[in-house]
Amino acid sequence: MAVKELGQTIGAEWTKLWSVRSTWWCLTGAAVLMVLSALTLGGATATELRRAGGEGARLVVSEPVISATSFVQFALVTLAMLTITSEYASGGIRTTLQATPIRGRMLAAKALVVAPVMFAAGVVSGGIASAVTYAVLSTRMFGGYAVLPPAETTLDLLALGAFLALVSVMTLGVGAAMRSAAGTLTVVFMLLMGLPLMLAMTGGQVALEVSMRMPMFAGLAFMGSTDNLTGGPIPYSPGEGLAWLIGWTAAGVAAGYAVLRRRDA
Amino acid sequence: MRMILGLDRPTSGTALVGGVPYHEIRYPLRTVGALLDARAVHPGRSCRAHLLALARGNGITRSRVEEVLETVGLAGVAGRRAGVLSLGMSQRLGIAAALLGDPDVLMFDEPVNGLDPDGVRWVRDLMRSLAEQGRTVFVSSHLMSEMQLTADHLVVIGKGRLIMDAPLAAVIAQSSLTAVVVRSPHAGDLSVRLRAAGIGVERVGENAIVATGAGIERIGDLAYEAGVRLHELSTREASLEQAYQELTASSVEYGVQRASV
Repeated sequence: MAVKELGQTIGAEWTKLWSVRSTWWCLTGAAVLMVLSALTLGGATATELRRAGGEGARLVVSEPVISATSFVQFALVTLAMLTITSEYASGGIRTTLQATPIRGRMLAAKALVVAPVMFAAGVVSGGIASAVTYAVLSTRMFGGYAVLPPAETTLDLLALGAFLALVSVMTLGVGAAMRSAAGTLTVVFMLLMGLPLMLAMTGGQVALEVSMRMPMFAGLAFMGSTDNLTGGPIPYSPGEGLAWLIGWTAAGVAAGYAVLRRRDA
Repeated sequence: MRMILGLDRPTSGTALVGGVPYHEIRYPLRTVGALLDARAVHPGRSCRAHLLALARGNGITRSRVEEVLETVGLAGVAGRRAGVLSLGMSQRLGIAAALLGDPDVLMFDEPVNGLDPDGVRWVRDLMRSLAEQGRTVFVSSHLMSEMQLTADHLVVIGKGRLIMDAPLAAVIAQSSLTAVVVRSPHAGDLSVRLRAAGIGVERVGENAIVATGAGIERIGDLAYEAGVRLHELSTREASLEQAYQELTASSVEYGVQRASV
């Protein structure tokens, strides 16, 4: 019975998402940023390979695409955040809760809209970036190391989409807990980049172990990236990376739901 | 109002709509339409999209969206972003959202604040016509003269406590400022007679008195018994504002003392 109402609430959230310009800005921005940073990162790797005279070396273009995600994710995370914080900023949350007074259903509907949209955004923008990167880096000028193996690329892009869907839902949860855009972005930035890098840089073993379990490195592990920005490998499997990611997402959503239930709107 | 809609949690007690808590209503917008804050809309979303999202969540048809846009006179600007609307137009959009589900209960929080005279009149007529269709219209306002023109029943709350819950006519009738004006060439004789009957009398001129504490019939009868000729016998009603001030004199939260130099 409640499934039908959830579907209708999802319809409402879907309409809301696509009826503001910021959605299009964020998605376009993410795609452009993805292409540019994948090209830059891939170009750097190709140049290095060439300088090292790496005959027969190959550069799978989805790899720089995945590395680029560390930056690009913030465009999409912002979009996920706005689905809830813009409502608190404008007061529209009260209209939303008048239409859907069951707060858990409202949050679930937002998550169920955000997740597939972000998944698609990741796959599509990653696909475009892979294609462009391949087109440019397979030329003679860049040594022709770039390859685009269909199966590997497909798996990488699917993982990329899943990663973005998960961190976006986590952000939605944080947004529901924090309510303000500035607070949400600060917390999410610290989780996705600030804290893991800071901890990793301290060099202590415990700090490094902790940082590796934070969403950033968990995501890179899940997406099969060998490039963890600190030199050392991420010490666990992609499956474990996914598990950590799901854990962080669940924690974010739980925090958001707890605040949503208790606090006055 | 926010507690009724389940937005705020009451310190104690419960708020029910038609016997059930708001969040248990399957499609709340079809039961209760409320306008709390006309600006509580995403400024970048068009009027139509705003209403469409609300409609989709409550199983309301797309044609109903166009219908309410027509009703409130926003059909021509339906594609415009809510952020560029004037306050009056935002108010209309909020009213459109309240009407969307064709609900039996409507709640408006200060609906005429910031409206021009035409807008005020439009809102007043709309509220009256909704009430005449048999719907419950619950309005909050600090504009007493406006409420005197609109309301049938009053609930007065001061410092979080219920002060009055009565029909408008009864509130006005019980005010000490509701009085009977009498003009008579024998005003002096009549004053003595009325005072003797325990009625408050104030001499306001050579031939005129104002009597409080008795109805117009009683005073007419007393004048007849006394054989006093009358040139005028009329009721002077207190305004709602006066009645309200008497009621709330002791419970004004942030009142000002009358200035004395």
